[in-house]
Amino acid sequence: MAAMMTSTQPPQPPQPGPIRISLIAGRYLLFSIDSVMEIRRKHGLCCVLTGTMPQNPTQNLFLGLPIELRAEEARLLVERGAAYIADETSDHLAKLKEMSSEAGDKRREAYLRGLKEKRRTAKRLFNEEKAAVKKMHEGKRKGGSKKEKAAPATDSLFESPTSPVVEAAAKKEVLPAITPSTSSALLDKDSISGAIADDELPESSAFYRYLNTRGYFTTPGLRFGGDYSAYPGDPMRYHAHFLANCYSWNDKIPMLDIVTSGRLGTAVKKSFLFGAEREEEEGKKEGDVRMFCVEWAGM
Amino acid sequence: MTLNHQRTEALTKIVLNNLQHQHDWTHLHPHSQLNLPRTVIYGLPPKRLYVHPDEQVEIIKAEKEMRAGDRIPQEPELEWVLPLHLSEKWSPAEFAAVFDAIDSRPPGSTEISPEEEERSPWLAWKGSRRGKRVLLATVQDDSTVTYYWMHDGLVKPRQN
Repeated sequence: MAAMMTSTQPPQPPQPGPIRISLIAGRYLLFSIDSVMEIRRKHGLCCVLTGTMPQNPTQNLFLGLPIELRAEEARLLVERGAAYIADETSDHLAKLKEMSSEAGDKRREAYLRGLKEKRRTAKRLFNEEKAAVKKMHEGKRKGGSKKEKAAPATDSLFESPTSPVVEAAAKKEVLPAITPSTSSALLDKDSISGAIADDELPESSAFYRYLNTRGYFTTPGLRFGGDYSAYPGDPMRYHAHFLANCYSWNDKIPMLDIVTSGRLGTAVKKSFLFGAEREEEEGKKEGDVRMFCVEWAGM
Repeated sequence: MTLNHQRTEALTKIVLNNLQHQHDWTHLHPHSQLNLPRTVIYGLPPKRLYVHPDEQVEIIKAEKEMRAGDRIPQEPELEWVLPLHLSEKWSPAEFAAVFDAIDSRPPGSTEISPEEEERSPWLAWKGSRRGKRVLLATVQDDSTVTYYWMHDGLVKPRQN
């Protein structure tokens, strides 16, 4: 089984077409593991795993797919042309309505064909696996065949011709059930169905873009009391360098906030980073961000 | 003289006194400039206050090549100080104005020539590679002063 699992998932080439970010109940979710890998490798986004198990929905230690993106992360991917945001509620309804039309028949056919194709592949792989196992056992049996021949004749009482029932059962062995983990089969490969309009896109954050384009990964910063924790690379490899807060250009920041965050940051070997996007003035280009780092001076 | 002016003057005085008498700083000078939101201070701490993590790497490398036990002496350098009161609220715009107005090295800092920097790479962190930084001196009403570094831009934290 394990062998089959690995053989059915060869390293796939990156998906063509943009990644589909599902907007469901105001949250930006990604359901496909390939997309998750792609945004992590190419765009420095690790995001947050939010999926739990249907059998045990209260367990929240080992979460899986889908991952949830922050609004600014989703926006950044859209800006780069790497993804589109789909309004799943309306798109799902539209797709369901479409199913009862002629186009729906075609879609259904294609879906079933896809399933059959998968089934065939699985069967072939399963048979190959079985043949390999059989071969292995035959090899063993040849080694021990002398003993078997020497033993029988005496106790004819237990001698039974290999029962045909057992053999038939072995042949009809059940195929492993395949549950598709995503509904991507219902979608056309390159379409961007349900994509939301440009003016409904989430607000972009120059502060976040500034960190991301400099190779910083970010995770939610609540555990250090900030907006983000910023890592100099993948969080699997690095400790966070900064706890980061984003302000507006003319936000009045209480000194106590700066002092306490600076103190906390130093206590966990980080620096407190805050910044803002410069408000548009003459001669300043949009997206100009100023960053400041605060740490305890040790005196 | 406005009330605001009096307040900042008092603030500067408290910080100057604190640096001089509690922290043994020398060469202290208040520094005013037209484009600065308020008077800042620069002075010389008794020992070096800030070593950039990359500079530390350079120093350790160099010390490894020297005789065992030998250390590269770390001379203090002039630093900027920005006096603030705890009750104040500053915006990123105001902090940016301070950093835009000052040089990375206060006036009178030791000059370090490119040749010297080439010979001893760690010296560049006192010269051409020194980023802008100010010491935030936050004063509370009980005359407690706390000191925090503020760097301009993304500066990785020290390994302390």
